[in-house]
Amino acid sequence: MFAAKLLPQLFAFFGIAAVVLRGYPERRRPLAVSVGAGFAVGAAVAFFLFRNFPGSFPFELIRTVVGASFFLFWGIAVTALYRSSERALPDASGRSSRLDAVAAPVIALGAAVTAGALAACRFSGNDAPLGPVPALVLLLVIGALLAAAGFFLEAKLPEALTVSRAGTLGGVVALLLLSSSYLVRLDLFSPLSMKVMKGCHDFVHQFMESVLIPDHLFVRPQIWGYIGILFSKEVGFWGGMVIWFTPFLLVAIAVRFELLPSVGHIRQGAQRRKLLAAAIRQRRMKLIVPLLSLVLMAGAAYRSSFPDVEYWDPKPIPVAADPSGDVFIPRKGGEVDLSDGKLHKYLLKGGAREVRFFVMLTPTGKLTVDLDACAICKPDGYGQGEGSVICYYCKTLIPLETVGKPGGCNPVPVAFSEKPDGVHINGVTLVNAWSTTVQSTGAKKEGGK
Amino acid sequence: MTVPTIQTAGLTKGYGDICALKPLDLQVAEGEWLSVMGHSGSGKSTLMNLVGGLDRPSGGSLSVGGQDLSALSEDGLARFRREFVGIIFQQHHLVPYLSAVENVMLSQYFHSVPDEAEARLALERVGLGHRLKNRPGELSGGEQQRVCIARAIINSPKLLLGDEPTGNLDHKSTVMVLELLKELRAEDRFTVVLVTHNEEVAAWGDRTIYLDDGVLVREERLRS
Ligand SMILES: Nc1ncnc2c1ncn2[C@@H]1O[C@H](COP(=O)(O)OP(=O)(O)OP(=O)(O)O)[C@@H](O)[C@H]1O
Ligand SMILES: [Mg+2]
Repeated sequence: MFAAKLLPQLFAFFGIAAVVLRGYPERRRPLAVSVGAGFAVGAAVAFFLFRNFPGSFPFELIRTVVGASFFLFWGIAVTALYRSSERALPDASGRSSRLDAVAAPVIALGAAVTAGALAACRFSGNDAPLGPVPALVLLLVIGALLAAAGFFLEAKLPEALTVSRAGTLGGVVALLLLSSSYLVRLDLFSPLSMKVMKGCHDFVHQFMESVLIPDHLFVRPQIWGYIGILFSKEVGFWGGMVIWFTPFLLVAIAVRFELLPSVGHIRQGAQRRKLLAAAIRQRRMKLIVPLLSLVLMAGAAYRSSFPDVEYWDPKPIPVAADPSGDVFIPRKGGEVDLSDGKLHKYLLKGGAREVRFFVMLTPTGKLTVDLDACAICKPDGYGQGEGSVICYYCKTLIPLETVGKPGGCNPVPVAFSEKPDGVHINGVTLVNAWSTTVQSTGAKKEGGK
Repeated sequence: MTVPTIQTAGLTKGYGDICALKPLDLQVAEGEWLSVMGHSGSGKSTLMNLVGGLDRPSGGSLSVGGQDLSALSEDGLARFRREFVGIIFQQHHLVPYLSAVENVMLSQYFHSVPDEAEARLALERVGLGHRLKNRPGELSGGEQQRVCIARAIINSPKLLLGDEPTGNLDHKSTVMVLELLKELRAEDRFTVVLVTHNEEVAAWGDRTIYLDDGVLVREERLRS
């Protein structure tokens, strides 16, 4: 329960301790202490934020930190690749070790603070069995124990298992992402994929439609179809995946192409070959962390598609339009009561098209009818939580008061007429609303032009 | 005074009830060429296997190149074999479907990384520069044994062990192989221990020891 819930976060923290200590072995002791202390600080600060700033502010803060660390890693990965391809010997001036004197504690502390905050996110205080404060104290004790365990276990790892500098950061970032992927509101995967998708989509609109080929005679509809495939919703997904996975691949490539020591001056063949073999073996060992990070990332990406919190998400009730095209939803019928303030989902099948929409009573006292999709995301639908609905795709929380208003990731509102017996919606309006605004059909819309 | 390359004290080896080597005290100086003689079953190969790290002693102490072999782990022993000794057997144990140069490179591979240029050089040193691409089956017995020598010295061992390396060769080839060993030793300064049944071969060494039923019965110094 309480402890089991925290397992991914604690595992990630333990991994961070081990990776950082392995990456900077000269400073094991101070680093272990700062990792332990950082965890405590991060947990305490997050805890304080949750108590004093309810709502999504603390989540946004932590999410930003995790996201920023990921993009920092992007830059470092590119740099690592660039440096590894330099056909010059690494300078022996000791510049890198002076850089390490700063980098090691910064990485250790930053990662540990974030890991602590992520762990604290797992219990906003109230669902802990002993009450919030003892739970926090317990968490701090566990954190200290894990830091100590990392300190002793890391020393037991085989000597040959080395970690490159970029690899250290890669491991840390992958573990943070894994840890955050277990928290719906901290999950970074879908929002980024969404942004990529939107970027591609906008690009098609702006560039292809208005600048390059405005309704040209020779551009056949089929060609638009192909362009549509290129920029369909899959692009967002794969674009996101590329962003997530390339840094790790870049680091792996950088390690793989690291220069071998120059051995030309060693006259005895056996001696020379031995040095080369040792360097190659070390390079191979350095690949373990980036490759392991790839696996962790894949786990995190997979994980993020399963929201952890239980949302109210009823199965859509199939409805049909009458011959005049009217879709009628009774105010009360069966187990459904439209005025209970809950999300009520319906599914309209119009020929080959399916439209998912919902009806709900908002806290403002008005009924609203909206598509179960927004204009920017993949239509994964919404679930209802406390005081808000969540877009499953981008994990944005939309306060109930604003449901029914258009824009952003809000569900797309649909016109309807309210009668005493229920709600009447025009079927054609529904189908059109879905096919003109919902992302997945957006590309087809251009294709069919 | 330098550390002897081989130093044993009360070294024994038994296989079940059979005592193949009775307590043996032996010292071989660095750079020395020692011949080992004795009738069949007297424990010569047993001694070679122990010294070469192919087998572990049953008792006594055995230090080779300053390393206590009985204290080494399996990994340590494997590294010792890779880096410290080169072994030549009576049967050549060459891989039949690899060429001469590939057979030498195989040994480099197990040591560290293969280096073809260096392997060619080694074969040229043993006078096989013109048979690099031939497979063992296409070489004479003497040539095969020279490939074995190239393979044994490629990783610059400090100790070269030969278990009847000339046992299958005629007189002319035997002399060629021994001549070659002598030259290489002069250049690379490794220690040689050679098991033989042949007095004439033994005479190439600095010293000969005679084993009988696992006991060192006689020792003869030919030169120092
Ligand atoms: N693996 C083994 N298992 C059991 N007994 C063995 C083993 N190896 C050797 N022996 C025995 O140990 C004794 C010594 O054998 P070893 O091979 O050392 O003799 P050798 O002097 O090399 O003889 P040869 O000149 O015929 O090669 C022999 O009695 C042999 O039968
Ligand atoms: Mg024998």
